[in-house]
Amino acid sequence: MSATPIAEPTMIGLSEKSHAILKRLKEDGHFAEMADAYRFGIALALANGVIPGEPPPPRTTIFSVATVDPDREIGNAIRALMETGDVPIYRWVERLAEWGVTELARRAQGGEIDFGTILKESEKLHGV
Amino acid sequence: MKLISLSVENFMPFKGETTLSFPQDPTRNVMVVFGENMRGKTSLLNALRWVFYGKALGRHLRELPLHEMHNKEAALEGSWTMEVRVQFEADGHQYDLRRRATKRHLVAQPSRPEDFEVTVGLQKDGMAVSGHIVEPEINRFAPQQVSRFFLFDGELLQEYETLLIEGSEQGKRIKEAIEQVLGVPTLIHGRDEAATLLRGAQKQQTKDLAHVAGLENQTQRQGSWQTKLESYETDIQALKTRLEKIKVDRAALDDDLEKVDAVHQAKIRFDFLTNRRKEIAGLQKSQGDERLTLLRDAWRDLLQPKLAVRQTFLYAEQSKITSRMDERSKLEAKAADLKRFLDTASCPTCGQAMQEEKRAKAGTDLGEIEVALKAMSVDHRGLTRVSAEIQELGRLLRPGVGPRIGAIDIESRKLGVELTKIENEIEAISKQIKGYDTAEIARKRSLRDGTLREEGQIERNIAADQKSIDEAKKELAIIAKALQNLPQARASRSTAMVQICTSLERVFSESIERLRGDLRRHVEERATEAFKRLTTQKAYAGLEINQNYGLNIIDERGGRVTVRSAGAEQIVALSLIDGLARTGRAAGPVVMDTPFGRLDLRHRDNILRYLPTTTSQLVLLVHDGEIRRETDLAPIAERIGASYEIKEVNPRHSKIVKVMS
Repeated sequence: MSATPIAEPTMIGLSEKSHAILKRLKEDGHFAEMADAYRFGIALALANGVIPGEPPPPRTTIFSVATVDPDREIGNAIRALMETGDVPIYRWVERLAEWGVTELARRAQGGEIDFGTILKESEKLHGV
Repeated sequence: MKLISLSVENFMPFKGETTLSFPQDPTRNVMVVFGENMRGKTSLLNALRWVFYGKALGRHLRELPLHEMHNKEAALEGSWTMEVRVQFEADGHQYDLRRRATKRHLVAQPSRPEDFEVTVGLQKDGMAVSGHIVEPEINRFAPQQVSRFFLFDGELLQEYETLLIEGSEQGKRIKEAIEQVLGVPTLIHGRDEAATLLRGAQKQQTKDLAHVAGLENQTQRQGSWQTKLESYETDIQALKTRLEKIKVDRAALDDDLEKVDAVHQAKIRFDFLTNRRKEIAGLQKSQGDERLTLLRDAWRDLLQPKLAVRQTFLYAEQSKITSRMDERSKLEAKAADLKRFLDTASCPTCGQAMQEEKRAKAGTDLGEIEVALKAMSVDHRGLTRVSAEIQELGRLLRPGVGPRIGAIDIESRKLGVELTKIENEIEAISKQIKGYDTAEIARKRSLRDGTLREEGQIERNIAADQKSIDEAKKELAIIAKALQNLPQARASRSTAMVQICTSLERVFSESIERLRGDLRRHVEERATEAFKRLTTQKAYAGLEINQNYGLNIIDERGGRVTVRSAGAEQIVALSLIDGLARTGRAAGPVVMDTPFGRLDLRHRDNILRYLPTTTSQLVLLVHDGEIRRETDLAPIAERIGASYEIKEVNPRHSKIVKVMS
């Protein structure tokens, strides 16, 4: 007997607090678009092996899933790298983005985000 | 000629009255005056120039205006009289020459040469010499034209070195100056005057023969060429005058520009840095834009290490499943073989009946394989899932943008450091050029460049005119020759005159060449003599003079030495000057300002030993960097008859003190 497919959301977002941070990341010129920062945040959380909880309320929807992950590549990566259990993939996306965006804001406190170092750190984490 | 004493009053840095006594003993005829740069060594040389010839020279031989020669401190104290007096002996007579400049009564603050009244007085054996004879009298034993060789500025050595560069502008000017000194212009004037007489005679001839039957055509042609010649000559004269003026203007511009050269260089650097700053800003902007674009996909790079680990795991899983599948296939094949064997009563190859033992064994094996096959399940769905996941990871693991982002970050940091340095330098240069009108400097540079171009054009025009003049002269000579052969023309007085003037001009022209050759030979001999005494390279055979009076060193095999050190250049230049000085006048005193610039100790020694033997007195104006008074003067210590030092009282006032006798 096959399990009932989990219903995936079509719209995704962040907590309002992280939404403000996301806007700021764009305004300060760290990213060209908010969606770019959102994607990078998800990957950052995944790379660091974070298993985040639900974003704190109040929450806000920002993007359609098709905007953030048009080819479902992010979804597939999450599926490959995490135990997603009963939680829809794109709810994981939101949770990971929440953590990642906050981490990016922390790294932007010095003025510039050192992306080169972030990428190197991720290689070191996995012994490359 | 021998100098006895020099007194200066309020002349350049010498405030009040100062007197120097020159050595009189022929065996101790060297006088040394020490002085640091900017103290007044060249001013002493200028004091002699001014008292003898009424002019003092600044850099690039530019004449200094009178009001700038007056001591500034004395002027501030209201003392506006400047005087230089020299006492000397020549041809057994005692001379006392004074030149005095005093502010005119009605002038409050002199600001131009005309604000001074200059008086000159010369006494010979205590008797005043009449004003109009003063100059010729001085020129008898210290000709002004030769003065650059005995009132000698070390700065000029470099000019003489350019004599070797064929066709150089400076070389041409020095050649003219040398010929002036050696008397060639006298013959040139003679030739020019003969040419003027010839033209007059030819005009008269044209007039005389115009009405003689049969000569109309020739005279008409002669008249036409004469008119052309006159026109070319007027033209060339105007061009030469214009060229002279332009050269003076350019020299003034060069001097102005040299003074602000540091500012100009700083402005060039400032402009370069400003452009570079702009360029860096552009690079940073484009790199920033590229980085933003790359960041769109950078999330993949973040996941790649982890996905690669996952991919390795999946490959292992896939390999496990496929190995199991292989194993199962093999067992299935074996079971099928055994079944076939058991189903057949005889051997399919030889047709013999099967042994019972073998059948029993095959049955056992088949049973065991069937048990194993039942226990061995193959996860086909798992394989499909793993393969699909591997394929998906393959897409995610495609080459990323990380390396490019890293490279941009490194480049960006480098640009940031460069930008900081540039901004610091721009700030420093801004302070340096503040207060200078850099636009005016740029204007003067353009003006100078334009003047240079115009000079070139005029020189080309002069050359073209000269060619036309030569052609006209040739035509006129042909016509003159033709007329001389015609009996009707030969009878005319003006034809005879033309003949005489033509011969006269030829005599002068040939004499000029002969004199030049003689002079060159003379200078070459004397300069070679000096060179052999001065050079430390004894293998050199001597010097060879060229058309410009430049000297080549000849080695022991008679070949020219083409590569010469700066020191060798200076020795050659000094040899030339010595040769010229001795060709141009009788032995006399030589005053040398900073002559040892690039010479090593042995060459200095040779100069110090040689020059006192060819001069009546040798006055050396030197600084400590050129000659160390304790050690370098040792070879000529016994020849030094007087020694002075110029000391600074303040930047506008120097005094001269005697340091030994």
